[in-house]
Amino acid sequence: MNLERIKPHFPWMTLLALVCVVGAANPAFFDPLGLLSLVTDVVPLFIMALGMTFAIYIGGIDLSAQQVANMVTVVATVYLSQFGIGVAVICILAGFLFGAVSGFVTTRLYVPSFVSTLAMGFVALSAAKYLSGQRALSMDVTERNTSFGWMFDSTAGVPHQLAIAIVLLAVAWFLQTRTSFGRALKAVGSGELAAVASGLNVDRVKILAFAISGAFAGIAGLVFSVKLSGGDANLANGFLLLAIVAVLVGGTPLTGGVGGVINTAIGTLIVMVIRAAMVYLEVSATQQQMVFGVVLIVAIALTIDRSKLSGVVK
Amino acid sequence: MTDISAQTEALGGLLTRDRIVRWAPILVLVALVLLFPFFEFLSDLLEGKEHVYLLDSRFFSIRNGARIGIAATPALMVAVGATFIIIMGSIDLSMEGTISVCAVLFAFAFLGWGGTLASWAWLAIPLALVVGAILGFVNGMIHVRLKIPSFMASLAMGFVGTGLALLLTGGDRLRVEDELFRSLLTVRWLNFPIMCYVALAFLLLAWFIQSHTALGRNFYAVGGGEQLAQSSGLNVARVRIMGFTLAGIFFAVGALLAVGRIGIAETATGNNFMFVSITAVVVGGTALWGGIGGVWNTLVGVQIVNVINNGMVVIGLPPYVQDGVLGALVILAVALSTNRRSVTFVK
Repeated sequence: MNLERIKPHFPWMTLLALVCVVGAANPAFFDPLGLLSLVTDVVPLFIMALGMTFAIYIGGIDLSAQQVANMVTVVATVYLSQFGIGVAVICILAGFLFGAVSGFVTTRLYVPSFVSTLAMGFVALSAAKYLSGQRALSMDVTERNTSFGWMFDSTAGVPHQLAIAIVLLAVAWFLQTRTSFGRALKAVGSGELAAVASGLNVDRVKILAFAISGAFAGIAGLVFSVKLSGGDANLANGFLLLAIVAVLVGGTPLTGGVGGVINTAIGTLIVMVIRAAMVYLEVSATQQQMVFGVVLIVAIALTIDRSKLSGVVK
Repeated sequence: MTDISAQTEALGGLLTRDRIVRWAPILVLVALVLLFPFFEFLSDLLEGKEHVYLLDSRFFSIRNGARIGIAATPALMVAVGATFIIIMGSIDLSMEGTISVCAVLFAFAFLGWGGTLASWAWLAIPLALVVGAILGFVNGMIHVRLKIPSFMASLAMGFVGTGLALLLTGGDRLRVEDELFRSLLTVRWLNFPIMCYVALAFLLLAWFIQSHTALGRNFYAVGGGEQLAQSSGLNVARVRIMGFTLAGIFFAVGALLAVGRIGIAETATGNNFMFVSITAVVVGGTALWGGIGGVWNTLVGVQIVNVINNGMVVIGLPPYVQDGVLGALVILAVALSTNRRSVTFVK
């Protein structure tokens, strides 16, 4: 048995094992309706993690995702009455723009992505506080229901929120595997210098990857604000850790180049099962962050490709 | 102190890149200190009030100076800790968690052992420092032994720390109301509270470690060129772990001062320290690539950040602008301090 050969199969085996353990401890876990609502609850997190996958896939990171989502919850709430469902376009564009600026700062100004996105996150926080007047805003219920009420319905038993997640996953998967941009992402993630040497416009690819991450964070913020019917500069706090965990336990290593959006789907489900397990096993909510912090360390340690760090781990 | 002349290109004799990078932070600080009173001067002039520039300024007064000093001291300690790490070319993002854990454990021990500095409760202070050192040590071990990049290892440790603090308190606030301990804030010598002098003492200690101990020189060696340091026989792993441990101790000092300032220890004690301290370090001129800068740079950086925060309040700008301004400032500082010829690409 070669560890490197079974490594790609770790994520789904982990998921399966976790499901079995939790199911054995509490058979009520397998209740289809309960499962469905668990999966639906995790949709905003999943969307953010999907975007984050692109940033990590090229070997970067997007620490601004949570703040961008926060900002978008405010944007969505403030502009809902003015633009109706069109507010979605604004939200996605706002996220895209923030991500693109992060990408620009990273590639053209040579600021490492963890600093550039951290800094852009604070710019987003500033914008969110400005727009919200530092208050928790709530949406007008009728306006929300006319524009986004369809999100809470379901067709043939599939909640529309879940359908959104699946569509976005399909889009991300298509981008990653069926477009030249996707191949370029892989090239940059596998070896940036080689990608530059083979004539790829690496800067453009990276800027676009961060922009996509921002756009998905925007969509996550929009879905979240519609779900909670409001916006606030701190609404999505707590998502960042879970989104990073979802990407990493899914098997996309911090060093990039392998893994991808399907892995992130599995990773998000793992996060979901761990959270559900903690509820069943009566681990209090206050302990969850600690648990996920430890899970994060373990996941990074297991997945990271140390040959790429070339002996120097800064 | 730091010789980077080998990398610098001459921009016409006097104005070398080296000189600009070295002196820019202090010039920015002086400019800011003169700028904010100027805004006040302008607004009073427009309202037709008598105003002598600098002398009548609310910003440029001893009271406001003390206010900036009080606001800056906990962040200064945290930033000094982070400076050692950044000199090595690594980064530490775990401070929020470390500070919360240290503050909360300090408060538990302090209250449990008597609740006043005059009793055995003073032992809570060394306890907090030891806890900080342990957390820093674990952080360093995870980074070095598991070969995880420091930003991610420390970020994860930060989450663990915040979670641990939350677990310990269950979300409660602990009040530390001992008058002797609070004299850190309440007793003033020459207009400045004792905590400013405590911070100064630790700053001098940090400077001593940086310039007059082998460990301090080793930080620069690792930051200047890790492979070179390794091949000249330096135990780089050990230096890194000790660096993170040392940083943890300074985070604990920051936690103690933060508790001394507000009299409350809770999970949220550590909030906002991460971004402010990293901003202060890089704005002060310690390069993210390592090898350049030091604790005096960080002192200037912390003052820049706090003067901006305070000055914006004094001239009446809404507080939410600060986050965005700091964000832009970080990007600017890192971009300016990066020598593009020596960097091939960044992740």
